[in-house]
Amino acid sequence: MRVATNAYTDSMLNQFNYLASQQNTLQSQASSGLAVQAPSDNPVAMQNTLNDLASNATQQQYSANISTLQTRADSIDNVLQSLQSISSQASDIATSAGSATNSQANLNTYADQVNQLINQVVTAANTQDSANGQYLFGGTASSTPPYTTTTDANGNVTAVTYNGNSTVNQSQVGSNLMATVDIPGANTDTTGAHGLITDQQSGADFLNHLISLRNDLEAGDTTSISSTDTANLQKDENNISYQVANNGVQQTLLTTAATFATNSSQTLNTMISNSSGADLVNTMVKLNQAQTAYQAALESGSKIMSLSLLNYMPS
Amino acid sequence: MLGLFGTLNLASRSLQTQMTGIEVTGQNLANVNTTGYSRQTVQISASPDISTNIGPEGTGADATSIQQVVSSLLNNQIQSQNSTSGYWNSQQSALQSAQNGLDEFLNGSGATSSTSATSNSTTDTGLDGQLSALFNAFQSVATSPTSVSARQALVGQAQTVAASFNTINTQLNNTKDSLNSSLTTDVSSANQLLTQIATLNGQISTAQFSGGNANDLSDEREQDLQNLSQLTNVTTTSGTNGAVNVTIAGQTLVSGNTVSDTLQTYDPGNGNLLVQTANGQVNLTLTGGSMQGTIDARDGTLATLQNNVNTLANSLITQVNTVHSGGYSLTGTSGNNFFNGTDAGTMTVNQALVNDPSLVQASGSATASGDNTVALQLAQLATTDQAGLNNQTFNDSYDSSVADLGSALDTANTQVTDQTAVTNMLATQRGSVSGVNVDEEMTNMMTFQRAYEASAQLVTTVNTLLGDTLSMKNS
Repeated sequence: MRVATNAYTDSMLNQFNYLASQQNTLQSQASSGLAVQAPSDNPVAMQNTLNDLASNATQQQYSANISTLQTRADSIDNVLQSLQSISSQASDIATSAGSATNSQANLNTYADQVNQLINQVVTAANTQDSANGQYLFGGTASSTPPYTTTTDANGNVTAVTYNGNSTVNQSQVGSNLMATVDIPGANTDTTGAHGLITDQQSGADFLNHLISLRNDLEAGDTTSISSTDTANLQKDENNISYQVANNGVQQTLLTTAATFATNSSQTLNTMISNSSGADLVNTMVKLNQAQTAYQAALESGSKIMSLSLLNYMPS
Repeated sequence: MLGLFGTLNLASRSLQTQMTGIEVTGQNLANVNTTGYSRQTVQISASPDISTNIGPEGTGADATSIQQVVSSLLNNQIQSQNSTSGYWNSQQSALQSAQNGLDEFLNGSGATSSTSATSNSTTDTGLDGQLSALFNAFQSVATSPTSVSARQALVGQAQTVAASFNTINTQLNNTKDSLNSSLTTDVSSANQLLTQIATLNGQISTAQFSGGNANDLSDEREQDLQNLSQLTNVTTTSGTNGAVNVTIAGQTLVSGNTVSDTLQTYDPGNGNLLVQTANGQVNLTLTGGSMQGTIDARDGTLATLQNNVNTLANSLITQVNTVHSGGYSLTGTSGNNFFNGTDAGTMTVNQALVNDPSLVQASGSATASGDNTVALQLAQLATTDQAGLNNQTFNDSYDSSVADLGSALDTANTQVTDQTAVTNMLATQRGSVSGVNVDEEMTNMMTFQRAYEASAQLVTTVNTLLGDTLSMKNS
């Protein structure tokens, strides 16, 4: 076949362009680690990668939610430990004071101790979340102190008012997994989350039971103390124990969810890598091949281009 | 018999003939790099012989014509393939512009494994990631419903999403405008080429009418036809005296040396320009070339993408507002929209929320600012299939649009690569027929040179013989 002189240069130019483009693509893949960077590179892989990236971001958000809830659960746990201690002290006082041999002076001393316990419980029930200043035990009405007190002339609490509600928030910690660590201060219904201080389902009413105990101590009514107050305080202690156990369950749930979110994230990263990642070895081998071909094209081109009949004609 | 003077005359004409050969060779060598040039050859024929009593005697040779070496079949194939190439090149260019406008790319920090590049730091640059971040910001508010900082982050992310929609809308509109401009430019170029072809037709006809050949003008016209065929699908028919008539979409626009009509763009009412004849105002249905590629890309993939993005924006605005307006803010206010606007171009975040993020209505209760019911509902929109989006989630719908665009551009890229191979092959084939080969021309030159030398030697010989003859008288 006849070959026009410019066919060499045209062909070489096309080949150079092709090889340069190939080298550019492979170099970009090697430096970014991605075989797919634009939708047109591989539309299906791009779609899968975008889906996986969105899922991964969601998993990371679940992890962030879990972290927030764990911090809150820890704060709640600290309060529960305090209340357990207070409840134990109150039960001890009730047991000791229930004996008919106690003098009124002893009972008054006990009453002073119970007043302190009442104040401690009110303080604990009004604990705020260190992260955002919200009250932990007001239900979803968390921006105002859940408990306010009425005091007598001596500053002793005579009544408490619960300002919160019995609703608790659910938070998403997995694709189909909700968690709640919040505890309302009171729940006077027979359904829903158990209240921390007042709970219809368990019969707990910690602050009012402490006030009754204090009043019975001041009145020297050891019969009521031994028959009624002790039993009531047991209900409160049981309720707090329930809350401690439930908090533990929720913390375990959060730990499990955190592990699942981390594992899911790792799996998604692998899927993203499989969909759009570049195989480094393969990429480097192809890059070397392209470079070798480019070198060969340059060398062969320069040899062909330097020759013509003119080289052999007498000047 | 020719006699000495007759032979001298033969030698003289032979010198002229070989000289013509050298001139044609020189013309070919001079045009070795001229685009569209077809090599020329000189046709040499033996001169008419004369009768003698010993039989017919030759009278030498004459250069009878200079002819182009062309293949009409190849030229027609090149024209046809140019239309296809022009179509896909313009599609590729338009869709690349749309892809850039969408700005949905993957970023990676490089290979981290010796066996495979683990792209655990892969991120996307576009709206997909922004949408995910928006719903995750709703999650953050749901987890900390009274946190003002979480609300500030949410409003900030919502502004980013709105800005991304606005930018995409602007970019796609710019792409559409630029495609309209490109179409107008193509039409103008086509009209200029039509005029040039008609002018060349006239010059070629004049040359041929007077019995000559207009080889270089034919090359020029062929180059114009090939350029025109890149713009649109062209049909050519032979006219009188070497003229070529040009028809586009059934309308004859060049007849001989006359441009019977030209092209112009017109707006059918939606701002998307189309092509019609200027005088007859006949709307044309083009079938190839960059003009139709531009129209198809603009009215096909780009229009669908714009529509999908607007539908997505509208659906997001509507769904978020429906849930949000039923909630309560930290201050107890209710009924406010989260987003303003109706589509990608007009979408903004409610300025009241921007000024005071505590007005984000995340609570489901007027009396419980710490309630997260509404925030949670908003966050869960991320995984809710939307009827207005073909029962896809917001992210899935957008990802489908991205994949559709990618697929269209991938097809265009493949077609351009294939067409490039085809046109290169045809160019090589045309070169093998019409292209200049320097070695061949140098060989021809030596042939003519040697023949010229021989003819010159003949003149010298006859001159010597004439001298001898004259010296016979003197001696």
